[in-house]
Order: sequence, then structure tokens, then C-alpha cells
Amino acid sequence: MQKQGKAIAMISGGLDSTLALALVRRQGIEVKAVNFYTGFCITETQRRKGGRADGSVPRNEALRAAADLEVDIEYVDISGSEYLDMLVHPKYGYGANANPCVDCRVFMMRKAKAIMEAEGADFIFTGEVLGQRPKSQRRDTLRIIERDSGLDGRLLRPLSAKLLPPTIPEQTGIVDRELLEAISGRSRQRQMELAKELGVVDWPQPAGGCCYLTDESFAKKFFDVLDTREAAGEERRIVPEDVVLLSTGRHFRISPRAKLIVGRSEVENALLEHHVPGRARLEAKDVLGPIALVEGEPTWEERMLAARIVARYGKGKDAPKVAVEWREGELVETYEVEPERDEARVEALRI
Amino acid sequence: MPAPARTLDTSGRLCPFPIVETAKAVRSLDEGAVLLVISTDAGIATDMPMWCKATRNEHLGTFREGSAWKSFVRKRAR
Ligand code: SF4
Repeated sequence: MQKQGKAIAMISGGLDSTLALALVRRQGIEVKAVNFYTGFCITETQRRKGGRADGSVPRNEALRAAADLEVDIEYVDISGSEYLDMLVHPKYGYGANANPCVDCRVFMMRKAKAIMEAEGADFIFTGEVLGQRPKSQRRDTLRIIERDSGLDGRLLRPLSAKLLPPTIPEQTGIVDRELLEAISGRSRQRQMELAKELGVVDWPQPAGGCCYLTDESFAKKFFDVLDTREAAGEERRIVPEDVVLLSTGRHFRISPRAKLIVGRSEVENALLEHHVPGRARLEAKDVLGPIALVEGEPTWEERMLAARIVARYGKGKDAPKVAVEWREGELVETYEVEPERDEARVEALRI
Repeated sequence: MPAPARTLDTSGRLCPFPIVETAKAVRSLDEGAVLLVISTDAGIATDMPMWCKATRNEHLGTFREGSAWKSFVRKRAR
């Protein structure tokens, strides 16, 4: 009786991974779900900032999917330097934005493989669908992910399994291939039918989009950090503090030597306060306004420009002059500046 | 609520860390023992019951207290 196998599910909580989970579970296979924390999750950041604009708190969808199907779930924190290095030097390049999805999947699968081995599981499965995403879910890419992660024959994609070569669990009979799917492409019609058949009633709408790396404006800021370091003769790299700051505030590239970050809300201001060491801290005196940070080595003119932008985002924006305090370590200065009124200029500096 | 065998304070930590730490703490608990988790992430009110359901631990309740939440979890018996 070798039939009762064990599998590791990589789930995001989206419809596809929930369906994959249900397909494998109904074959009586024991499943342990894993969800990877990359540090680039939009849900997590929304929560850090006190929920969405409408006051609701986004759910953790992976947890929801595991709970619905009563599958044990483990979170794996991969947000460390090894992951960040991969982001900067992806072997297979980036998708449309700063998302190196192929490398990222390989990275996750390697971690999942270690969990599979530790748990004595037979295989890993995901909610990937052949041809659904332009780059990371092409036939050749699915094969690359399997090969580079060292999971040859042990990586099952239940939703597209019938269109892919049989995996080891299918060959040995742990998984009944006949009960898997042959879905491909972007249409979600079969997924909708399958959700009905399997009794899956709850999934996030709209689909996907939990990763900052796929966000266009985030990508601009991400590459700006890399390019600026490289231009300054430093190593092209991203550190954990960058990740927090990249999703906080309005960013302005004042010059190749200086960047300004302006808080957009109370929560962001409080967050920026934690990152003052090594930077200059700007705040309007006498009138309410945001907290801002300046990184780098600005010239005198660039300091004035930064102070004018900070004044422009405060309550004194229509005043003739605003006093802006500049704190940098022991140094505290006050600059009397006219709030920047040239909107086109402000926008042009925006990263 | 029953007296907790252990209290875990996750204040300041955000999704998914309160749950990651809860999972670790529950692992080191005796079966049937109760863990009290304090969290400042509002998401805990939905996450904790879901995590308990997924891992078949017993969610005894999550209550708001000022700006924090208190969750009581009883470790399942195998
Ligand atoms: S969307 Fe983000 S988390 Fe998902 S594979 Fe791409 S880079 Fe990785």
C-alpha cells in the first residue's frame, strides 16, 4: 500500500493555487502548504500602514486557502540577503518590471525541496498554469524551474499536468494523472468550473498582484537605487532597509548625489523616523508638514531644493516663506525657503 | 479564558510574523496547553482563527484591548 503519499504545496492563496491544493487533497494525499515571505508583499505593507484606504484590513490569502482546505501551513521567511542578491543579479532576467519571476521561482523551489526532504514528502506542487504568464509560465520556463531547483520529476503542476510530461508521483501511482487538469492560457473559464466542482467558493478578487516587484512605479525606485550605487562606484545591491523605504513615501531624485523621501501620512512619517541615522531629517517648523529624509551628499542648492519640496507638502505651502529644519547627526540648521511652486519641476524629479 | 502556559508578545511585528512566531511557540508547548498571543497587527483577528483551523489547533478567542489584540490558542492533542 504505497498509495498514501505526502506532498508540499506552494501556495499564494490565489484561485489557481487553491484549486491545485483541492485537486491534490481529494486524492487522499497528505499535504503541507508553504508560503514564502519575500518582504515585497503588498498585503503586508498595506497592513503596516494600517489597512486599506477604506479602512478594511487585507486578509492573508495563503492562510485563508490553507484554512478552507484544512491543510497545515508553514511560512518561510526568505527575505534575507540571499534573496536580495538574486533580485539584483537574476540569471534569467526581469519580467516587465523589477520581477525576476523565473529566478524567484527557482529560489523558492529550492527552499521547498529542502522542506520536502525534511518532511519526507514525495513531491512538490504549485498552482502554475501553462502559458498563463508571458514569461514565467511558458513550457520551457516551467522546465527550467524544475531543472534548476533540482526537482527533476518531482514538481507537479496539477492544473496543467495532462499537458506536461508525467512526473514521478504520477508514474508511481501516488497521484492519479487522470484526476488532474489540462488547463493552459489566460482564460479562467475552466478554473471557474473547477471551483464549482471542487466546492471552492472563496478566493481573492481581483486575482494576483501581491508582489511589489511587478509594480511599475516600485520598479523605477528599485532600479534608481541600483543605478545610483553603481554610478557612485559602489556595488549594485539592495539591503533590507532599502526594501522598507522603497515602499514608503514620495521619492525624488534631487541629483545623482541626493535623494529625498517625503512621508505621505502619519504612519509613513512615523516609519521614516526609524530610518533617520545616516540621513538628514527635514521637517517644517511652526506649520504642520511631513517628515522627510535626504540620502547622500547634497550641495547647498540641492539642500534648498529639498527644503522647498518639503515646505510644499506641508500646511505652509501657500505661505511666502516656511522655516524648514535640517537635522543631520549633531548638526541642526533652519532654512527659510519659499515652498516650491513649480509643479512640473516637482513632478520631473519624482522617481 | 484559561490561564495561558505561555505569553508571546509580537507587538510591532506584522503579517506574517505574528503567525510565524505563534507556530514556533505552539511547537514547544505541551499538548492541551494554552498560548496567549499579543499582537498589534489588526490582521491577527482574521489570521489567528484561520491559522488554527489550518493547523487544527483550537482558537479560543481573539479580543481587542486598546491598540493591541489578545488571542488564546490551545494546542491540539495528537
Ligand atoms: S511575482 Fe514576485 S514573488 Fe511572484 S515569482 Fe515574480 S518576483 Fe517572485
